[in-house]
Amino acid sequence: MRIETCYFCSSRIYPGHGIQFVRNDCKIFRFCRSKCHAAFKKKKNPRKTKWTKAYRKTAGKDLAIDPSFEFEKRRNAPVKYSRELWTKTIEAMKKVEEIRQRRSNNHIMQRLRKGREVEWQRDVREVQRDISLIKSPAAGLKQRQLEEETEMDIEPETIEVVDAKGRKKIIEAPVMVPATGEMIEDGGDIDL
Amino acid sequence: MTYKRKKYHHGDTHLKKRWRVRNRKKDLDQIDEDIKEENADKLLNQSVDLDLPGAAQHYCLHCARYFINEQSLNEHFKTKVHKRRLKALELEPYSIEESERAAGHGSFKQASKRKIVTQNTEKTDVDGDAIIEDISPSKKKKVNENDS
Repeated sequence: MRIETCYFCSSRIYPGHGIQFVRNDCKIFRFCRSKCHAAFKKKKNPRKTKWTKAYRKTAGKDLAIDPSFEFEKRRNAPVKYSRELWTKTIEAMKKVEEIRQRRSNNHIMQRLRKGREVEWQRDVREVQRDISLIKSPAAGLKQRQLEEETEMDIEPETIEVVDAKGRKKIIEAPVMVPATGEMIEDGGDIDL
Repeated sequence: MTYKRKKYHHGDTHLKKRWRVRNRKKDLDQIDEDIKEENADKLLNQSVDLDLPGAAQHYCLHCARYFINEQSLNEHFKTKVHKRRLKALELEPYSIEESERAAGHGSFKQASKRKIVTQNTEKTDVDGDAIIEDISPSKKKKVNENDS
């Protein structure tokens, strides 16, 4: 019994299933179901059809290059039957399959991890941009104002100014009086 | 009593004929084989076959089509159909081997991109290519002069 692969979607074809087309250069195209056969007749490109294995591997969705794929393939070299080899192969197949599955699952998880990182960055950016929706920009303004006033008091009222020619001058700094002081006091306490 | 009309497809033969398997054109992977030099030489220098258009003397490799004369072949090279075909052949065509590789029988190979150029028409003549080579560049020159 031989399990063939579908030309279009690369799935397995068990005996008694699907249909095959023999082109006039003796190439045999096997299809697992009428869906794949119809797609072939419409000359669809399996590399661009999203549900095929070929697409998933070209687009990097599935693990494509790995030594674990090298075991099962068409070799076109006859092997003489020996019972020992047969039993060993059966044992090895189980192991190989297990490893292959683990690696391909790992590949998908690695791929998705990147998306999670991007999502996290996007969330951070959103919070930074829209923080005003939760916390009023005016919240805590009064406190800050008080702090600033105290700082102003501490600051010297004279400033050293350097001329274009390089001479130094000491000027009395103009004290800034916040004109909108009243308004800030009104909007200071906003409860959500 | 009314009944559903049968014979909806009466007179569709000309539509059906187009989809017959014998009217299939060459697939891209077959053309990919043809492009290889040893095959290309054979296809471009075919012996006279009166059953084929233009006695099989004017063949477009990439579109797998026969043309009736040099002029129509050269005009075909400027068409969208031909340019699209060149573009489609740029990526290695999908094959049965690739479908097996995609199924996990052997490591998967990404299709490689290559440059595809329209066949050289000057090559097609059998002997005395020197004369015709002289003619075609002068033709090109004339066109260029007209453009400028």
